[in-house]
Amino acid sequence: MKDLPFDLWEPIIGLEIHAQLKTKSKLFSSAPNAFGNEPNTNISIVCTGQPGALPVLNEEVVKKAVQLGIALKAKISMNSTFDRKSYFYPDSPRNFQITQFENPIIQEGIIVTDTDGITQSFEIREAHIEDDTGMLRHFSKFTGIDYNRAGVPLIEIVSTPCMHSAHDAISYATTLKAILEYLDVSDCNMEDGHLRMDVNISVRPKNEEGLRPKTEIKNVNSFSNMEIAINEEVQRQIALYTSHPNEPFETIMPQSTYRFDTVTKKLVLMRRKESADDYRYFPEPDLLPIKLTKEYIEELEQTLPELPHERFKRYKEKLELSDYDASLLINNKKLSDYFEQALECYQNPKAICNWITVEFVGRLKDKTKSVLSFNIPPKHIANLVEMIDKKIITGKIAKKIADDMICHPEIDPYDIAKENPEYQPMSDETALQQIVEEVVSENPQSIIDFHNGKDRAFGFLVGQVMKKTKGKASPEVVNKLLKKSINEKK
Amino acid sequence: MHNLSALSLRKKILSKEITALEVTDYFLKRIEKYDPKIKAFLTVFKDKARVKAQEIDDKISQNLPVGKLAGIPIAIKDNMHIEGEITTCASKFLENYTAPFDSTLVRYLEEEGAIILGKTNLDEFAMGSSNEKSAFFPTRNPWDLNCTPGGSSGGSAAAVAARLVPIAFGSDTGGSIRQPAALCGTIGFKPSYGRISRYGLVAFGSSFDQIGPLANYIEDVALIMEVVGKNCNYDSTCLSLPAEGYLEHLKQDLKDLTIGVPWNFLEGVSEPILKNFKESVETAKKLGATIVDIDLNILKYSLPVYYILATAEASTNLARFDGIRYGKRSQNAKTLNEVFDKSRKEGFGDEVKKRIMLGTYVLSAGYEKALYQKAQKVRHLIISHYQKAFEKCDIVLLPTSPTPAFPLGSIQDPVEMYKQDLFTISANIAGLPAISIPSGFSEEKPLGLQLIGPQLHDTFIIGYSNAIINAFNQKFMPTEFEKESSK
Repeated sequence: MKDLPFDLWEPIIGLEIHAQLKTKSKLFSSAPNAFGNEPNTNISIVCTGQPGALPVLNEEVVKKAVQLGIALKAKISMNSTFDRKSYFYPDSPRNFQITQFENPIIQEGIIVTDTDGITQSFEIREAHIEDDTGMLRHFSKFTGIDYNRAGVPLIEIVSTPCMHSAHDAISYATTLKAILEYLDVSDCNMEDGHLRMDVNISVRPKNEEGLRPKTEIKNVNSFSNMEIAINEEVQRQIALYTSHPNEPFETIMPQSTYRFDTVTKKLVLMRRKESADDYRYFPEPDLLPIKLTKEYIEELEQTLPELPHERFKRYKEKLELSDYDASLLINNKKLSDYFEQALECYQNPKAICNWITVEFVGRLKDKTKSVLSFNIPPKHIANLVEMIDKKIITGKIAKKIADDMICHPEIDPYDIAKENPEYQPMSDETALQQIVEEVVSENPQSIIDFHNGKDRAFGFLVGQVMKKTKGKASPEVVNKLLKKSINEKK
Repeated sequence: MHNLSALSLRKKILSKEITALEVTDYFLKRIEKYDPKIKAFLTVFKDKARVKAQEIDDKISQNLPVGKLAGIPIAIKDNMHIEGEITTCASKFLENYTAPFDSTLVRYLEEEGAIILGKTNLDEFAMGSSNEKSAFFPTRNPWDLNCTPGGSSGGSAAAVAARLVPIAFGSDTGGSIRQPAALCGTIGFKPSYGRISRYGLVAFGSSFDQIGPLANYIEDVALIMEVVGKNCNYDSTCLSLPAEGYLEHLKQDLKDLTIGVPWNFLEGVSEPILKNFKESVETAKKLGATIVDIDLNILKYSLPVYYILATAEASTNLARFDGIRYGKRSQNAKTLNEVFDKSRKEGFGDEVKKRIMLGTYVLSAGYEKALYQKAQKVRHLIISHYQKAFEKCDIVLLPTSPTPAFPLGSIQDPVEMYKQDLFTISANIAGLPAISIPSGFSEEKPLGLQLIGPQLHDTFIIGYSNAIINAFNQKFMPTEFEKESSK
């Protein structure tokens, strides 16, 4: 595999992402939109497809979809419509899904990503509203159907085939997730299936026009799995084309659908498409078109919260964070909000960012967890930085206090420092003077070196003092006393 | 008592001349006596009806306020829900399906004190024009028990014509209220699309379906429309308009009214129907109307348009009947696909299967454009041709049905049966209010005259119908079925 001519090939990737919208009730009924309850408790006559039941559109869903459309700088349809998509499956209560096929509410948008300090932009083809299905539950002797999820509002965001690597796809998906979170339109909890990603992949030799047959990978549920899946599929396709240079593309790569097995981390073939699925789409006669007004859209535009890319620019320009640090924070809304809360308590963005994204992250035993799992109030981070800046503690003591903060997130670092004599910096000049004298007399060679212009010798001497004081000595006082003492020895 | 209008019954009940319970018992007795011959009812709620009637009487005796329909017996076609009661749609599939909620229609009726006596027979899922497609039994025409009452609301029409109930409700997707009304010699009104909520009506063709009343007196149609013809939050396609006053708009003449007749479209209509229709036009003239010739030749496409679009909608509306959640589940199914296939095979009748297949076909890839989309375009043409016609006239006049009541089993060719709706379907295609009123007889079988108006002109249609009905001054009570039973 490693011998494959990767350089000559270009992967083409498109994503279809289903996001569950955060609403009180379902898309077409007043049944609660909630997760984790007993099966078939959050249901109504609409979610179970009773004869005579009719869908009534939830206005909250329209509002959230329009907010997303604005955030994606998309064309928002003033007159979008619903269609019926027919297929028989027991989790589909009417045996047709209500979706937007002909006139989706969002068309032609753009998504700007800032990942690892690099800014890119990707095209959105469309986004449409549709209802979710129920879920099958398999037991040893039978299969049950839980309709709690049936009718939950989804928005499906479809990109153009505009991505060329797993990295692109992850940047796109991460940013889309962040946008949905910033807008508060979805909880984006991936473990609960709030965000489900379908990945379309094809490859072609660089400089070739047109697209070759694609593979679809269904229901990828994490970014790391998406990376594995894309890389595996791209390799597989390049290997196939390379080993069958003369066969028609459709023979080598018949259009097929895979799913990603989360246990084996492998792709599993679901079906080959002999011909296109026939969903027999036609306009949903039970619903009127969603008619929007300019005023409605303008009002939502004006109340739109700050979005990830805007925040990125603010962090760079106003807070003078590096591109890398800014992107690290903004792509994780909760982390970024945490940073902002700390910043409200004490204004040293760079140091606070460093403590959050380097120091505390470094103290995570389980690297899959977030720094927020320490449950340290953001004010405590701010206080820690403030204590350093005000020279109440030394950097070395700060690191020890940080360890203690993880064990006792409820205690303010000011109190941690106050209550532990070990954490009191030594700034008493008489006591320090004595130690300085000791170090100077113990290291005559260093004094000579220093006087011969070797600056490193001074640093060594400072280090010796710090060692004797277990790092508690105020570096400034040590510097002052040491310089004075050495010069006297001249 | 059975020859009284609901309006007069109401007056007598309110003035304590008779009690609601007496009225209910009277009609229950008539049902008990005559329905075994007519077979209009699938269910009768004897005990429940008597309890409700007693409640009304209690209120009246205590001088408490009662609703607009206090004590009026009403029948409902068995494709509309009453919570806790079975809705069969005259299908084996739903033989044991208990409705989990009230239709808006039933809710509005009961809020105004109506007494629902029972549920009436229909062609399975309202697909048919003779009631012969009911999975249970065919209903008979009270004028001639060997004939069909028409369909699909044949049970409601027969019940009203035989005075088993003063008012009944039907649903009309292509003529299912008006054609049986004509064949049974009663009034049948299909309101503008969206006038009466479809919530709780088992859907056939959602963009065509409309609930409406059948009655023997136009003032009863007016009265009941004041109760049920209003907005409903559970049906997005229901007009967001409050109930209108219909009784106050009943007219005595047709002065200043211009009536359009599409004479061209009537070429080829059988002689007795055409003769009766021409007499009706003469009557309208005498009442002061101006008659103009209008071009509605486009209506010759109504049948194909309807059988493409309505079946497309029906094929998806009926997809929910799969044996998984409710209704029939085949005992012979061993796999998931067999549950779907066998439950539907065993649960649906041939006409329903035929329409599901037709609807599935017209939506299939490769045919959808040539069939479904083309039919949609013609639908829009029909709508715009009607709009043009209404620039020249206020009302369009047509016969209701191309034939009088026909003997059971006499129409075997499905296309011949579909032609029963030739004159009624266009009102569903265009969403227009249309009414059938009794207009005379052909060989002792009743005929109907149809008035079609512009969208939302429901009060107008009912108002002018009153003048024509008065002019016809027709006694249209069938009596043969009563005589036979008294032997």
